[in-house]
Amino acid sequence: MKLIEKALEEGRNTLSEYESKQLLAAYQIPVTREMLVDDVKDLTKATQEIGYPLVLKGCSYEISHKTEKGLIRVDIRSDKEARAAFEEIMTNMDGSEKAVLVQEMVKGKRELVIGLTRDAQFGPCVMFGLGGIFTEILKDISFRVAPLEKRDALEMMQDIKGHKILDAVRGMEAADLDALSEILITVGRIGLENERIKEIDINPVIISGSKPVAVDALVVIS
Amino acid sequence: MREFFYPSSIAVFGVADNSRNLAKNIISNCLDMGFQGAIYPVGREPGEVYGKEIITNPGSLPEGIELAVILVPARFVADTLDICGQKRILHAIISTGGFREFSEESNQAEKDVLAVAKQYGIRFIGPNCIGVICTGSGLCTPFNPLQPKSYKKGHVSLIVQSGGVTTQSAYYFSEEHVGFSKIISAGNKLNIDEIDFLEYLIEDEDTEQIHLYLESIEDGKELMRLVKKSKKPIVIFKANVSRTASQVAKSHTAALSNNDRIVDSAFRQAGIVRVESIHGLTVAAKALQLPPLKGDRLVAISLSGGFSVILGDACERYGFTCPLLPRELLDKIEGFRRGGVIRMSNPMDFGDVHDIEALIFTIKSCLALDYIDGLVLSFLYDPEIAKIFGGVVGSPEQMLTFLKKLSERTGKPIAFSLIAERQYINEFKKINTFPVFNNPEESVRAMRMLRDYWRMRDVLNS
Repeated sequence: MKLIEKALEEGRNTLSEYESKQLLAAYQIPVTREMLVDDVKDLTKATQEIGYPLVLKGCSYEISHKTEKGLIRVDIRSDKEARAAFEEIMTNMDGSEKAVLVQEMVKGKRELVIGLTRDAQFGPCVMFGLGGIFTEILKDISFRVAPLEKRDALEMMQDIKGHKILDAVRGMEAADLDALSEILITVGRIGLENERIKEIDINPVIISGSKPVAVDALVVIS
Repeated sequence: MREFFYPSSIAVFGVADNSRNLAKNIISNCLDMGFQGAIYPVGREPGEVYGKEIITNPGSLPEGIELAVILVPARFVADTLDICGQKRILHAIISTGGFREFSEESNQAEKDVLAVAKQYGIRFIGPNCIGVICTGSGLCTPFNPLQPKSYKKGHVSLIVQSGGVTTQSAYYFSEEHVGFSKIISAGNKLNIDEIDFLEYLIEDEDTEQIHLYLESIEDGKELMRLVKKSKKPIVIFKANVSRTASQVAKSHTAALSNNDRIVDSAFRQAGIVRVESIHGLTVAAKALQLPPLKGDRLVAISLSGGFSVILGDACERYGFTCPLLPRELLDKIEGFRRGGVIRMSNPMDFGDVHDIEALIFTIKSCLALDYIDGLVLSFLYDPEIAKIFGGVVGSPEQMLTFLKKLSERTGKPIAFSLIAERQYINEFKKINTFPVFNNPEESVRAMRMLRDYWRMRDVLNS
């Protein structure tokens, strides 16, 4: 993939969030609608195209843990708020390649993680689990060796302790397990088809209605 | 590969006629185990071991020797292998240690051995191993003194990465009366690795189950591929469990993955039964002799109230349910009671029924229910109690034969254990026509292995 080659030529070992999601989108994984803006002049165009409410995030391959660095502003509802958030994020960012990702705000209370790692003996392996802040705290996760078949994908979702989160609970629709399976299978395929990709984190994958959407992503290359 | 297990003749290199020599134990082990082929001791000094003259000039070895067992210092192994090549001995067990497990990954001694093997097309097990124990041929190549007469024949074959675990497995499998067909100590796996052995054992007529003890896996993908296509159950005791994940991981995914978690998932995907001890291997071996367990619903029967509670707990712990039984069946069973003081349910306390016919009726009736997948029985035995019980299954032999037939006829597993003095438990085990577990908890654990195995197989075949 060109994205990966370009990043490697530049001596990088990660793709930015924007690039990571372009890669996922190229594999038909549903991602947030978003535009990368590095000049305040282009901000209005982006906000109009995507529509409020919005999330603005600092975006660079150099940063991966955005929350801790104060580089995320959520629930932006007006041009004024958007402009203020844009300026603030740009100021908070250091480094050469600065830009702000203007992103649709995906509604959904359920956050999952889907990932890829490479095992020395078994090759690319796919991870599934509870996402967001729970990923690190609860470590409620499961793995499968790629390639995954549909039954592996369905089974690994049932493997986590919190699997009931996928059911129709508290007035929420049941998560679309077919769509989630498709993502899990595809992430395994990405690992098998791209030797250069070492690790992938898609966290969170938010269940919006019943549909999963990749809201943040990190691709590690070497 | 046949030559590694059923050689017509063997040459043992490194033999000396003194009490500290280890290689001569290879000969005594083979003789004790009843190996019928010719054995040629080879050494540097003349002498005699076990009535056989030590051959000091390897050039005088006869043609057609099928297997060499080599226990000479590491620096002489390549030369010894070269002698084998000249004598057209194309299979070797290299017991000698001191290669990559001792010094660096790729050392000169190792390179020399590989070069000689390649030159003559020699296939070898090891180095740093104790070779093969084969109950079918009596070949027993470990160089430590053993008690091969206590080994029991069976239909499980094992591939083991450690010498100590090899010899201990031979005892465990024999003591549990499961027995074994072949045990291979694979050592450093420089030429032949677990994949090669697995391929052979999958085709081997004398092997019904394949068990492995592994500390490392060389090619996980290939292992999975082979296991998936094997119709024989594969059980693995994977040790050397590293809980630490990569320290350099950038993503959460990599940071949260450790090799053991992935091994677990991979085993499950391939349909491998995983256990955590040598004893666990023997439990799996017994479990997998039973008919398939195709669900979670068990009837648990004990002749002791306490053990029916313990069985119930174990069922719960291992993910089984004990469904309610039909009222009319329970009424009938309650009709057999002596004191009429115990109410029948599932798990079932049979402590008030001292009648073997009633037990037979109950087991048959429960297994006939279409919503029951299997049965766990903890049976009370003592020769005197057997007299009180009476009936056609009074002796241990009759009991096991009855259970075996019933299990086969219904196609449902019965996991059998005993409340009895150890000597009687051993008496039952020794008969070995039907698996006997060491205690009630173990019998339910065995059922879990059996259920998980068939669940994985069914998923793979669907």
